Amino acid sequence: MNDIIIAADGLSKSYDGKPALRSLRLEVPRGSICGFLGRNGAGKTTTLKLLLGMLRRDAGTIRLFGEPINSEASSIAARRRLGFVSEDKDLYPFMTVDQTIRFTRPFFPGWRRDLEEKYMDLFQLPRKKAVPKLSKGMRTQLMLVLAMARGAELLMMDEPTSGLDPAMTEDVLQILADLAASDGTTIFFSSHQLAEVEQICDRVCIIDEGQVVIEGVLDDLKSDYRRILLVFDGIPPRELANLAGVDHLRQRGRTASLLAHGDVDGLVERARSLGPTSVEVRPVTLKELFLDHVRGE
Amino acid sequence: MLWFKAWLETRWRLVFLLGSTLMIWLAPLWLPSFGLRLPPGVPAARLWMAIQMGSVLLFIFTAIFLAGSGINTQGAYTFTPGFHGSMLFTLSLPISRRRLLFVRAGLGALQTCILVVIMACYILHLRPETTSVSQAFVYLTRTIACTMAIYALSVLLTCVLDETWHVTGAFILWTALFLMQSKFGWVARVSPLRGMSLNCYPITAPIPWAPIVASLVFACVCLCASVLVLQRKEY
Repeated sequence: MNDIIIAADGLSKSYDGKPALRSLRLEVPRGSICGFLGRNGAGKTTTLKLLLGMLRRDAGTIRLFGEPINSEASSIAARRRLGFVSEDKDLYPFMTVDQTIRFTRPFFPGWRRDLEEKYMDLFQLPRKKAVPKLSKGMRTQLMLVLAMARGAELLMMDEPTSGLDPAMTEDVLQILADLAASDGTTIFFSSHQLAEVEQICDRVCIIDEGQVVIEGVLDDLKSDYRRILLVFDGIPPRELANLAGVDHLRQRGRTASLLAHGDVDGLVERARSLGPTSVEVRPVTLKELFLDHVRGE
Repeated sequence: MLWFKAWLETRWRLVFLLGSTLMIWLAPLWLPSFGLRLPPGVPAARLWMAIQMGSVLLFIFTAIFLAGSGINTQGAYTFTPGFHGSMLFTLSLPISRRRLLFVRAGLGALQTCILVVIMACYILHLRPETTSVSQAFVYLTRTIACTMAIYALSVLLTCVLDETWHVTGAFILWTALFLMQSKFGWVARVSPLRGMSLNCYPITAPIPWAPIVASLVFACVCLCASVLVLQRKEY
């Protein structure tokens, strides 16, 4: 059994000569919940579409469930083992809820009627209702039923909670967390909601301008990175930016804010030698990590 | 279950076409009640010829209309350019694009054939002269073959154009072919449009193999091209 469910290496994709992904490297281990973060246009949806075979890559390799995805047949075999929830949650407007389920069921030999019933009851979706008459929240629920009842080993989701009210968002996140915990389903989802990612993800991957800027176990990242606030009598010295371990430096007046990782204690000692009047070391939030890496503040 | 989806997305097109055909056929019954009558002295044969010429347009429209609702037009809720709607759901299923196309095109072709057979039989029924079974078979065969060429080209167009433009594009292309028929003799010999028309190939004449074979070859080429386009297309 392969422990890396999604492995992409050197993945590149351009649209009309404009690069959308630049040598992207990504690894998602089995059973993890991985949040895929980035600004609009960073390449999140492009990555998901490449993984699903909707787009052709310019360069690089993709392995899903340990198998290389290099043909339509290998992509189909992988799609049989995964579920996808698109951002707009669009299903066939000419079908009812029940027809949509009956249409999807035969494509997946591992379809679990018990899960179908369980989630249909949980969401209280009306089987006879036409899809266009469903709210966006109900369409999200239907897509989740379709994705989860097929017994998918991997769920790929593009903004799964967009358009949902807070209560529904909380329910969906809880279900995803339960699914990963009980069935060992790997969940890979893109989101703009950092709080959601922080709530349920054990891994994060942040991309910017088509490249991964930070990736890893969320707790490890939070413990590796620290915010160091330094106050000087005058303008902070320029040497701060050159100190080893400084990822980003932000200056405002007499204050310098460093995002640092690695040997933070050593870095603090070196920073003290530059004569600050006060030094404060704080843990970082995912939001800080995200903003510092994608905006370079 | 792909046939189920194809049926659900095309059934109203079929109903619309059946309804339209019925309206046209029943016209002789209800037009006189509005005071519309044939001018005196118009021979029945001439009237029938006009009906069957008009039916060619109906065959063309049927083929083009039933080829719609392809994968390019699965915008479920909005029709914003570049918005793919349910297409992403379809493409995330474990199905090859070739299978997607063949099931959809196959069902559409079957619906087209059924409508063409109904319409063609009615035209033969209206024919002033008696039509033998073999004559009817030849007429139906060439009409279906030629309609399939129109249908297959429309399928190809649906792979590259959206719903609105595929209809417009198909009509432009067939109008261009119609105009070319009068300029180039070789085009006229193999044109599906002429193959469908009884006055071009009278029903007593031998089987017009050229338009039949040309139409079937053209339909196969269009379907193969559609598969290639669909497999290379990015969504």
